[in-house]
Amino acid sequence: MEEEYEILESTVKDFNSKFVDNNSLKLENESMGPDFIRMLADQGFFSMMGQGSDASGSDLKALSIVLENLSKSAPAAAVKVLLVNAFSTLVNDTGILDSVGKGAKSGTVTFSDLLVPKGQNGSLKLENGRVKGEKEYVLGSDSDFILTLLDTGELILLKSGFSQGKKHKKLGFRSIGFSSINVDSSDYSVVAKDGIAALRKMYEDFTLPISAIAIGMSEGVSQKALDYAKVRTAFGHYLKDFQPLAFDLTSLIAEMNILKRYFHDLLSSPISRKEAMFLKHKSLILAKDMSKTSLQIHGGYGYLEDFGIEKFYRDSMALSVLFHREDSDMEELSSLVFEGKAGFV
Amino acid sequence: MDFELDSETKEAITKAREFAKKYFTEEAAERSDREERFPTEIVALSKKEKILDFSNPWKVLVTIEELVRRDPGLGISVTISAFGAEIFMFFGNDDQKEKYMNPVFAGLKTLGLGVTEPGGGSDVANIKTEAKLDGDSYILNGGKMFISNGQIADYFLVLARTSPPPSPEKKHRGMSVFVVDSKSPGFSVNKLHGKLGVRATNTAELIFNNVRVPKENMVGEEGKGFYYIMTFFNISRIYVAAQGLGIAHGALDRLVEYSKKYGEISDTGELKESIQLAIAEIATRVEATRNLTYKAASYLFKFTPNPIVTSMSKYYAAETAVFSTRRALELMSLHGLTNDLERFFRDAKILDIWEGTTEVEKLIITRMMLKEEGA
Ligand SMILES: Cc1cc2nc3c(=O)[nH]c(=O)nc-3n(C[C@H](O)[C@H](O)[C@H](O)COP(=O)(O)OP(=O)(O)OC[C@H]3O[C@@H](n4cnc5c(N)ncnc54)[C@H](O)[C@@H]3O)c2cc1C
Repeated sequence: MEEEYEILESTVKDFNSKFVDNNSLKLENESMGPDFIRMLADQGFFSMMGQGSDASGSDLKALSIVLENLSKSAPAAAVKVLLVNAFSTLVNDTGILDSVGKGAKSGTVTFSDLLVPKGQNGSLKLENGRVKGEKEYVLGSDSDFILTLLDTGELILLKSGFSQGKKHKKLGFRSIGFSSINVDSSDYSVVAKDGIAALRKMYEDFTLPISAIAIGMSEGVSQKALDYAKVRTAFGHYLKDFQPLAFDLTSLIAEMNILKRYFHDLLSSPISRKEAMFLKHKSLILAKDMSKTSLQIHGGYGYLEDFGIEKFYRDSMALSVLFHREDSDMEELSSLVFEGKAGFV
Repeated sequence: MDFELDSETKEAITKAREFAKKYFTEEAAERSDREERFPTEIVALSKKEKILDFSNPWKVLVTIEELVRRDPGLGISVTISAFGAEIFMFFGNDDQKEKYMNPVFAGLKTLGLGVTEPGGGSDVANIKTEAKLDGDSYILNGGKMFISNGQIADYFLVLARTSPPPSPEKKHRGMSVFVVDSKSPGFSVNKLHGKLGVRATNTAELIFNNVRVPKENMVGEEGKGFYYIMTFFNISRIYVAAQGLGIAHGALDRLVEYSKKYGEISDTGELKESIQLAIAEIATRVEATRNLTYKAASYLFKFTPNPIVTSMSKYYAAETAVFSTRRALELMSLHGLTNDLERFFRDAKILDIWEGTTEVEKLIITRMMLKEEGA
């Protein structure tokens, strides 16, 4: 890894040990609170992709390294950083970008516009200069600004005139608002005429950062399992001594290290859509498998929140639903692999 | 061989289905889950309507399956109030049956079973809770961890060491089972919060601080406690398998419903094949789990228990529940994440842990098989 990224990595690790590790359950389940949000902003984590006056332009690699490391301890904080940066890539109002970058305001993007077919996540229409309707499944619905699609396809920036509607169940990232939004607003601007294309481009750009979160989660949760298996005993042996447990964890850690190496390779080469998708596909599965195995190693304690394991079990699944399209991503990837349309029947 | 259930058992399924439909509303299930609140009112209703008929174990089995299929947290809460009662049935004396077992089966009292300790649940022979004879009572000291019904049970069956093991290899000797009244002086509980799933069920840590238990509260013979507990697990694991069956079937129901409403149709005019195959795979596993569970049950209910098949059914049902909820959630995307399937997904994982972890079940299967073959 280049030196500047090594420095960044140790900065995030430092940040974790000072502000995240002891607080990770609260950051996951309750609220991040304005102070913590400001701390994330002060580190520059909210302005890694945007064009705001403080930002030095996009740095996907830096963002991915930050996300990977934050996710080891607090996946919800990483997702918050991801949402804000996804927002920033699409907005070019410097005033808004500055306030979001400083953590004074927050912004999100309705990924759900890409995740379910049109019409399945509500509807927003333009009526006499006002945007009206309801949008479902908005992660980050507690934000000050929301980027979302109109039924007609434009991507708009809602600045006010919306409120949180029906609260959705929260499998993961519970400190981030997740609900529908009710909209009746004249305070909006059109960000892209072809909103779907703009969202898709952002979604593609964020393939590596999303993978980074999955890999970071796997690292965080597997470390907990390694630590636990070295101290917990059963039948007169440390858990690490039992083959089923040691072999399962080792096999997943092998997979994780291969993916991590691949991830770092991809970060330092021109981005290939196919390879980025390979990584995302595999790292999302890995995060789910790793958290399942790590929970199992903890036995009953894994099932309780105190050990900080069960949150990875929830978050890894939530990540793979909230930032990934099970079917259409595989259709796209298969088509890249077959070098022609494939996997659509 | 007949794979048909008799009409009485079929009626139990219908009765459970109707009860769950009426009382396991999404609002009730969601509230119990969110607040980690035991559904006292629903449990009382289930007792009033005699949802569990303990005189017929087949009816109990299918009732568990059907209730859990609607909602695991509520379904398990309703069906767990007699947890451990078979220990009285097989090893208790007439007085104990009369005093403790019958009120539990009649729905008047709630029972809990304390085996697991903070230091370990799989290695039962390593428990540290002690019972020392003092005149005509025993004095219990120690602690139990993760005990279902911990805060709400009237009595607990507690495994405790009554004499040191004769040798390190024979640690399973010297343990006995006691029935402990939850009102006993020196007995206290700490509710455990923050479970991943089955949050409607009540789970607590039990603390025994010089708890005096009359001698007559020892169940069965002194020193045979380990054997009693293992015998009980060979019964209860079949009911846990039924929980797994219910959860997996519930996931299948939701996926099928989703596929009808939202499933993508390809240009052949059929549902896209990946979801078709996922449905087939889950449905097949559900059926395989059912066959294995019913097979284990039929051995047991004829008083010829087969621990190998029992452990197979428990392990396979747990795996099926975890697999099915995960697969359904992946396919149902935001629809699954925001409906009760996400709760099923969280609930399912407990089955890999309680009443014998999946690893322990697999070890039992092989060790028993090798023993049977005289290896
Ligand atoms: C919600 C809940 C309710 C519960 N209710 C009850 C109850 O009512 N009564 C009660 O007594 N207990 C109850 N339990 C406890 C449960 O039965 C135990 O958690 C379980 O038996 C595992 O024990 P443990 O948690 O100590 O894990 P450990 O025994 O420490 O096991 C940890 C890990 O090591 C693995 N392992 C252990 N030994 C081996 C080996 N030889 N080879 C390979 N792997 C091995 C296990 O499979 C597991 O993955 C409950 C638990 C929970 C979470």
